[in-house]
Amino acid sequence: MHEPGEVRIPIGPQHPALKEPESFLINLRGEKITSSSVRLGYNHRGIEKACEDRTYIQDLYLIERICGICSHSHSTCFVQAVEEIAGIDVPIRAKYIRTLIAELERIHSHLLWLGVAGHEIGFDTLLMYTWRDREIVMDLLALLTGNRVNYGINTIGGVRRDIKPEQKEEVIKGIDILEERTKYYIGLAQEESTILKRLKGVGVLSQEDAKKLGVVGPTARASGVERDTRRDDPYAAYGELDFKVITNKLCDVYGRTLVRLGELMESYSMVRQIIQKIPDGSISVKFLRKVPVGEAVSRYEAPRGEDFHYVRSNGTEKPDRVKVRAPTLANIQAVSKMLEDRYLADMPIVVAAIDPCFSCTDRLIAIRDLGRRGKNTVAWESIRLKGIEWYKKQGVDFTVLNKKLAELF
Amino acid sequence: MSMITKVINWSRRKSPWVLHFNTGACNACDIEIIASLTPCYDLERFGILLKGTPRHADILLCSGPVTKQVECRLLRIYEQMLEPKFVVAVGTCACTGGVFSGCYNIDGGINSVLPVAAYIPGCPASPKAIIDGVTKLLESLEEKPKENKK
Amino acid sequence: MTEEEKIKQELEEGFAYLKDLVIIKRKGRIFADISLEKFAEVFDYSVKQMRFETISAITGIDTGNGFSVIYHLNREGKIMLNLKVDLSKEYPEVNTVTAYFPSADIYEREIVDLLGIKVNGLSEGNRYPLPDKWPKDEYPLRKDWKGISSKKEVQDA
Repeated sequence: MHEPGEVRIPIGPQHPALKEPESFLINLRGEKITSSSVRLGYNHRGIEKACEDRTYIQDLYLIERICGICSHSHSTCFVQAVEEIAGIDVPIRAKYIRTLIAELERIHSHLLWLGVAGHEIGFDTLLMYTWRDREIVMDLLALLTGNRVNYGINTIGGVRRDIKPEQKEEVIKGIDILEERTKYYIGLAQEESTILKRLKGVGVLSQEDAKKLGVVGPTARASGVERDTRRDDPYAAYGELDFKVITNKLCDVYGRTLVRLGELMESYSMVRQIIQKIPDGSISVKFLRKVPVGEAVSRYEAPRGEDFHYVRSNGTEKPDRVKVRAPTLANIQAVSKMLEDRYLADMPIVVAAIDPCFSCTDRLIAIRDLGRRGKNTVAWESIRLKGIEWYKKQGVDFTVLNKKLAELF
Repeated sequence: MSMITKVINWSRRKSPWVLHFNTGACNACDIEIIASLTPCYDLERFGILLKGTPRHADILLCSGPVTKQVECRLLRIYEQMLEPKFVVAVGTCACTGGVFSGCYNIDGGINSVLPVAAYIPGCPASPKAIIDGVTKLLESLEEKPKENKK
Repeated sequence: MTEEEKIKQELEEGFAYLKDLVIIKRKGRIFADISLEKFAEVFDYSVKQMRFETISAITGIDTGNGFSVIYHLNREGKIMLNLKVDLSKEYPEVNTVTAYFPSADIYEREIVDLLGIKVNGLSEGNRYPLPDKWPKDEYPLRKDWKGISSKKEVQDA
């Protein structure tokens, strides 16, 4: 697979990313990546098998813990499938509450991504700022659901907690502050030359490749593929909300950044609409423990893309088969394509740009020079710093920007 | 104890360097660990620094139920750390396996593979709990300075 | 006539044996049960002529007296067409669809690993999701699988 004169680097597998920590095998000639392949499966916990041994309600708590960042996505997607098989009509107020938590989750996830992307390119101040702003959303989520992560707000037939009027005011206050800050980040992304140099032209995926490889979410929308499950296959209360699907044709990491920033602004508008429009009524209906025989497919637009659940029931209180296809699985195969003909220095940001749920911990890399014997162990942190140093030599230096911003606030 | 040893022990207690490792978790505990390093919770004011390599770390912060593939890597990382070293299990999955206990690809909590010094339960463990747990571990070291040999 | 009804009609007109086997569950969800011999032509028609050009997932199920494989296709993210094919317990085999969808590679490896279904034509590559040293003939998602038998153990990779 590799030519003489090339160095092969395995990157991974201890990847902090939950469901799909990946191991990349990268072939390098000098600084350029000639080809790469991906090996997945390091975080396989046997959840689909475990679901068959537990009742539907127990499965709800298990499915929620597939991913800590999009826990509400998985939980809602699963519950929608079960409710479809059981023929349960969820009250409209419950749908609105689910949508509210869903949009707050999208806000927290995109701010998290923004910080992580900043960290990968060397812009640590952005990490600190966006995660500080993210605390506002975490406080709102804790206020509404009782927990910062893994909300447990869903139950089969509706939601478990109601929203009080004082909580609505708090949500609006928080969203107002966040909108101001996000406008500042958008200005930064569009004007700051260091960011533009690091993100433009990196990790290119053409529209044709995006369609062929079946990528989803912001990765697809930044390549001109206008797909959004909230608009194409409406669920919960999205049919009654007014929002735009943010796309652009830039096809690179910069495009993905702009899509996520645009989605943040749309989410703020949606949260305001929900708070204003939420109808009165009950928040759940009764669910009998046994679900009749049937099957259902449920789709949801998680912050990372289309989340897909398939549930099959056999008339008992335990499901017959639960299948989950998370959005990162659809996107990870495109990374090999995106890394072609790029420099090693861009590897951290290209992987981070598809938002593989989280990329902040150490990975060990063994570099083996095919000409000589012996191995050298290098940490991910070193590869990240190598990238930053490499770009410094090209004239892209974030230390000045870090200092300026730290002085401003 | 000689003066040098006293100074070294003092600096270990006052400024432990941590390595964070995820052994197959859902990531909720991991983002809470990172959140505790950012403004609002800020672990660095306690002298705690997040390092990228096991060779520099005193404390291993582990999250997640140990999946079978990750087991030998976890052991390898632990062996690369220098004495004295401590393992902290963050989150219910790391303590006992959590919701995943009994699954076919899981060993159980971290204590099925490594000796754990402190357990921080929670699903996920909130940043306040993480700070509380780590500082409790440091306090316990202060009371019995002779017992920090493994 | 709704979009879903048009699709149902088109399938039933193109393939007479599909009468009564195409079910519209609700808006945006169509399920079709197809026999193994006719599967290739129906699949080809759905992807090429009817433009269901995206695949969301491939689900493998152990039904007790055999296996089922469901291909979840969609057209521009809007309507889902779920094509199900039943396989026998003794010879569970399907042909690969990676010629139509390169990204289906990973979904097919999943059913190979977890259920032991043979996919003809799948290229060489890393397995997914089980570890490299997982013992042979242990398929976790089969209904009769209760754990690794004590004689075999998972060696560390």
